[in-house]
Amino acid sequence: MKNQLFIKSIKITSVLIFISFLSACNSEFLEKKPLGQLTSDNFFQTEQHAIWATNAVYNHLRDWDVHVFSYIALTDIISDDADKGSTPNDASFLNEIDNFTFDAGNLTVNTVWAGYYRGIFRANLAIENIPAIEMDENLKSQLLAECKFLRAYYYFKLVRWFGDLPLITRPLNSDEYNQQRVPTVEIYALIEQDLLTAIADLPEKSQYHPTDLGRATKGAARGLLAKVYLFQGDFVNAEKYAKEVINSGQYQLLANYNKIFTREGENSSESLFEVQQVALETGGGGSQFNEVQGVRGTPNLGWGFNRPSDNLVASYEPGDPRREATILYVGEVLPDGSARVEDNPNILNERYNQKAWVPTHPGGNGNGPGNIRIMRYADVLLIAAEAANENGNTADALLYLNRVRARARGASASILPDVTLTDKAQLREKIWHERRVELAMEQHRWFDLLRQGRAASVMQALGKNFVPNKHELFPIPQTEIDLSSGTLTQNPGY
Amino acid sequence: MKPNHTTITPNSLIKWIGIFAFLVMGFQMAGFAQGFKVTGTVTNNEGEPMAGATLLEANTAGVFTNEEGKYSITLSGPNASLLVSYLGYQNQIIPVEGRAVINITLEPAIKSLEEVVIVGYGTQRKSDLTGSISSVKSAAITRIPTASVEQALQGKVAGLLVTPRSGEPGQGAVLRIRGTGTLNDASPLFVVDGMLLDDINFLNPNDISSIEVLKDASSTAIYGSRGANGVIIITTQKGKAGSARFNFTSYFGNQEITRMIPLANGAEYAQLTNEVAINENRLPTYDNPEEFGEGTDWQNVIYRTAPIRSYQLSAQGVSETMDYHVSANYFSQEGILRGSGFDRLTLRINNGYQLTPFIKFGHNVSFIATQQEIGPGIVSNAYQADPTVPVRDSLGNFSNTTINAPVGNPEAVLFYNNNHGKGIRTVGNAFIDIKFLKNFLFKSSFGWDLNQNQGKNFVPVFYVSPLQQNQESRLSVFIDQSNSLLLENTLTFDKDWDSHHLNVLGGLTAQQFRFENLGGQRLNFPGETDEFLFLNAGEIEGQTNFNNAFEWSMVSFLFRTNYTLLNRYLFTATFRADGSSRFGRENRYGYFPSFAAGWNIAEESFLQNQKLITRLKLRASWGKIGNDKIGAYAGRAVVTSNLNAVFGPNEELNNGASIITLANPGIKWEETSQSDLGFEFGIMDDKLVGEVDFYRRITQDILIDVPIPAYVGAANNPVINAATVMNRGWDFNLAWRDKIGKLSYHIQGIASTVYNEVLELGGGKEEIFGGGLGVGGKLGTRTVVGLPIGAFYGYQVEGIFQNESDLLTYPTRGEEVPGDLRFKDVDQDGVITTEDRTYLGSPIPNFIYGFDGGIEIFNIDFVAEFNGVSGNKIINSKKMARFGTPNFEATFLDRWTGEGTSNTEPRVTNGGHNFEMSDRFIESGSFFRMRNIQIGYSLPESFIKKLNISQFRVYLSGTNLWTRASYSGYTPEITSSSVISVGIDNGIYPIAKTYLAGVNVSF
Repeated sequence: MKNQLFIKSIKITSVLIFISFLSACNSEFLEKKPLGQLTSDNFFQTEQHAIWATNAVYNHLRDWDVHVFSYIALTDIISDDADKGSTPNDASFLNEIDNFTFDAGNLTVNTVWAGYYRGIFRANLAIENIPAIEMDENLKSQLLAECKFLRAYYYFKLVRWFGDLPLITRPLNSDEYNQQRVPTVEIYALIEQDLLTAIADLPEKSQYHPTDLGRATKGAARGLLAKVYLFQGDFVNAEKYAKEVINSGQYQLLANYNKIFTREGENSSESLFEVQQVALETGGGGSQFNEVQGVRGTPNLGWGFNRPSDNLVASYEPGDPRREATILYVGEVLPDGSARVEDNPNILNERYNQKAWVPTHPGGNGNGPGNIRIMRYADVLLIAAEAANENGNTADALLYLNRVRARARGASASILPDVTLTDKAQLREKIWHERRVELAMEQHRWFDLLRQGRAASVMQALGKNFVPNKHELFPIPQTEIDLSSGTLTQNPGY
Repeated sequence: MKPNHTTITPNSLIKWIGIFAFLVMGFQMAGFAQGFKVTGTVTNNEGEPMAGATLLEANTAGVFTNEEGKYSITLSGPNASLLVSYLGYQNQIIPVEGRAVINITLEPAIKSLEEVVIVGYGTQRKSDLTGSISSVKSAAITRIPTASVEQALQGKVAGLLVTPRSGEPGQGAVLRIRGTGTLNDASPLFVVDGMLLDDINFLNPNDISSIEVLKDASSTAIYGSRGANGVIIITTQKGKAGSARFNFTSYFGNQEITRMIPLANGAEYAQLTNEVAINENRLPTYDNPEEFGEGTDWQNVIYRTAPIRSYQLSAQGVSETMDYHVSANYFSQEGILRGSGFDRLTLRINNGYQLTPFIKFGHNVSFIATQQEIGPGIVSNAYQADPTVPVRDSLGNFSNTTINAPVGNPEAVLFYNNNHGKGIRTVGNAFIDIKFLKNFLFKSSFGWDLNQNQGKNFVPVFYVSPLQQNQESRLSVFIDQSNSLLLENTLTFDKDWDSHHLNVLGGLTAQQFRFENLGGQRLNFPGETDEFLFLNAGEIEGQTNFNNAFEWSMVSFLFRTNYTLLNRYLFTATFRADGSSRFGRENRYGYFPSFAAGWNIAEESFLQNQKLITRLKLRASWGKIGNDKIGAYAGRAVVTSNLNAVFGPNEELNNGASIITLANPGIKWEETSQSDLGFEFGIMDDKLVGEVDFYRRITQDILIDVPIPAYVGAANNPVINAATVMNRGWDFNLAWRDKIGKLSYHIQGIASTVYNEVLELGGGKEEIFGGGLGVGGKLGTRTVVGLPIGAFYGYQVEGIFQNESDLLTYPTRGEEVPGDLRFKDVDQDGVITTEDRTYLGSPIPNFIYGFDGGIEIFNIDFVAEFNGVSGNKIINSKKMARFGTPNFEATFLDRWTGEGTSNTEPRVTNGGHNFEMSDRFIESGSFFRMRNIQIGYSLPESFIKKLNISQFRVYLSGTNLWTRASYSGYTPEITSSSVISVGIDNGIYPIAKTYLAGVNVSF
């Protein structure tokens, strides 16, 4: 009968469908891999991955949170070198920094904390995973040393801003997120250890292939380590490592101070370490470091933050050409001769940081190509001079100090005479002053004031609300204390 | 890297489609035997001929009546029985007894008792339900003029909280059924004609026949891992009895902003700005604040009266072997914010084909085309822009508004905005129903959702000010495609015997989803008019592109039994097993059971001899359901590329990549167990009906995207199974409906309570912070055991330090000066520290209600609807975000300016102490709104009959005309996709009030 056929066909097809479903329940149908992406399953397998992971640590140096807005606020603007800049009512949270009224909720403090720790995370990832990769052993140790140099760099900033820190040396597991702060000496111990590894395993500047220009070098690691010791008051080691840089023959002062901060002056003979930047049409190679400090108004180059202070203007010796090279005034012709800075009526006592100035470039103002100078030879010479003076090597101190002055002097014999002081205290003052004017607006001043123990007196003399035993350190961001479930403690006074 | 090839449709799916096709062909060939011939006419109880009624002999194929209700059928012999059925009418079995002509009169099914409710994978008589399901009919949906079905549901269902995402045209809403059960995505699952979907933005409200909201575990457990947040089943219109009927509906009207936020005017702004400067030890900015007068209120610049309109034409009917419903709709809405708008064209074809009396084939297909003008996000700009500056300067150029704060000129933002989107989408299913062996129904359905969107955003070269400029023109274009395919096969056994009724359902389903996008950008275009806005016109140098994809799949087994004894005792058991690609192998499958029982007390003999109570039922259910709404690959850490570094004398980019995000490979299913006790009644012939439910829902192993300390260094927050949350509350539903002579009227209301409490935080956590506020991203919510999810957290303001002696008298943080807020010393240790922060309220309303009433008399009808929420709080976060000196809310004018001037509003500053998260920024979120009011007039039947028109109705309608809310912002309905940052107003697109006129013609 057709009826029975009909029923039978239903039975059969039902069974078929069930079978097809059961076969669908094989693992293939439920196994979906991420598309178009590498994952933890297949990364850190090859030499190329090791290089990429290391480059990613350098990449973070250009991050907004690391070397841009908050960075200049917590280095220059807070110091006696600079004021907030821009129009008076803009970016009030920077006024809080300039006036020492900030608290643990201040944006800039939050920003650098998170930004630098994200850099440390990238370095930790590479340091944790590269050793297991089968690859050229020399390259492996070089890459690890680069990552350790960068980790030390990130920690060195943080420890000077915040004091005791959570010490994180590898990617944390999910049950390890509530960390405690450890004393600064332990942080410094890691920094020193990383830099010693970097000195041992990194090539000198001249030993790198030219296309690797910009990577961390043995000289950069030595220079940074000298500074790390200087900040701990270990003048013997500071002098030792500074002199290793000086005696390496890798570096010399650029003849013309003016040129250091031009595009041609990038990676000059004087350069130990710079954050490498380039303005591409596509972006992805620059940062807003130049824009946030650029001329605000006409010509239209930026936002005009980080205004060199009256106090800085007054601090130069008569005729010191470094003042003109550091500060861009209204009416001044731009370094590339393209235009004159016009008065912006909304800004009081308009001035700009000439060291951050860059000419018009592809990709718009927000895509700044100017390398961010982190350490130059003049800095190392002055570290050596200061340490030598403290160690009683007055002759060396004068030698290094006067090299810096001689370069600044250039051909004009009438200015910046050689220093001949031999009194330790007087010479110390002289070297400190030289550091200020030589390195002005290069984000060193605030740390130097703290190190020299005179931040309170200097800032109070300017009428700033600096509270001793409080403002030497920034507050730990309140969000961090909250998110750590209270395992992080706050700095005194906040 | 090795390319990863995956075909869009897996072989297994193709295989199933093949089997599906085979089924259809096979059954069409089924024939029929010769025998005894019977003819006749089928009419209903009013004597009208019934087309499309089914007549058959048991275990054979049957026939349909034609348009005149006539049939002709050949039976096995003169003693056979003829079975007659028609949806909505009682089935009849007629012994033929040798008659050659049998005329049949159908009796309607008993109305309230036989009311059929759509449940997961089937239907059930309402009287047999053991679960908590609310039904909403189409008329209630179409009253609200919106493109969004979700928004139209507001205030209609007890236990359903609907919060519009914003007033922007084309935007949907955030739905929460019975509170927030997860810290993750807590949106319900949508099932449209059997197709499982996460969003229903494509749906045209006019196409909807009914909406069922499944609330308890008994009804949602059949959806297993996707039912934890409730399920909303939407059935679209099908052809109804009778010959072809056409319907035309249209409305048109205008929308306006419901309220403006009072802001400082020019002179007031200048005055306040000077005071800020003085408070920051700076020189005042303005010499003569008064000269600015009223200045510019930028809200007047960006908002407008905007038109809204909709046209719909549909045809529907039933013929011998086919039912059909075809519709076309055009909806167009301009936004009340200039530069925003939404147009949508919808076509729908819902047909059913009775291939043989046993086999029905059908499809519900919709095609949607949308166009969107995407406005710039300038709600905040208008709120913050400098009011001392005119829109344009004396030369006609846009004024610079960025002198005191980085807030661009809103008029210029609008002028240079050129951002458009368009999409095409088809959603639907094709199904076959096969009845066999008398009690079996096999149903196979293939559903799809194919969606393609395109976007084009052009930014021309312009210069307004240093902070508002673009130096190189830029065009970004993207296309994204998603496809979701679902195959479902179910087999139902349904049998009545003696006093028993048994219904058993078993099924297997498989779904897969895939998304892929492709886009690029070029710079420096030769022109700015539309004909240049293609990537090829831009420069090759500097071009970028992207192409991403993800996919997931799921396989499920489902089972349900309903058993009814004596129509009184009801039992339901369901079970579903889900396997999902989102979870690692070790946690791939989840198992979700539920059990329920009901008691129809009204059927008991002791209630038979009375007329008062027509319906009385008690029901109880328990079940376990899951939630799988996490990212497609949450278990794996993905490598981030393009972390490039610059090296070398030629400054070249060197490739960089690393694993900067965290993942949790041990991630597992989130599980919810829900209990429900319900009580239903109908009194006086169901004039009064009501339902009360008590529910308790506990969600375990909640998947949380937990903010972690920044020092961990990751670029994201990992997803962790780490908390237990309880929601409990009552749902009430009461309706009264009656007719007095020519006047019929109704009044009904819904109400629900929600009590939300975190029972446990796992993973060693004691608290979870959330909600980035103002400058610096302060955390304004703290989730802890014993309080609601995402509870607000901060200082309590006790007053203002009036003078120096107050500073010595009361506890301080150490930095305050007279005029600053005085916080409560909660821990009473004599100083104000972060330990003094405390619970400041919950963003979750604890009471949600809605009611409406309607009257029809002669040819006039009138409806008014109201809804509201209470008990929740809002953080007015937009007031905290002061990156410079943007404009001030008018409340700043009540500031402290000297001893005794204010004890609530502190001296004016841009940040610092007074901008700590405190109850200064907390406002009530309660509101009560007249949602809709409508009056209509239908032309008398006697008049329109002559024109062959069956209905002609015109109406006037107003939506959101009146709201009572103490909140100072545009709207008190503030939502977020993250449950730990709900109720934080950072500047939301305002909702509109709408006036419109409409017409509805049927012929």
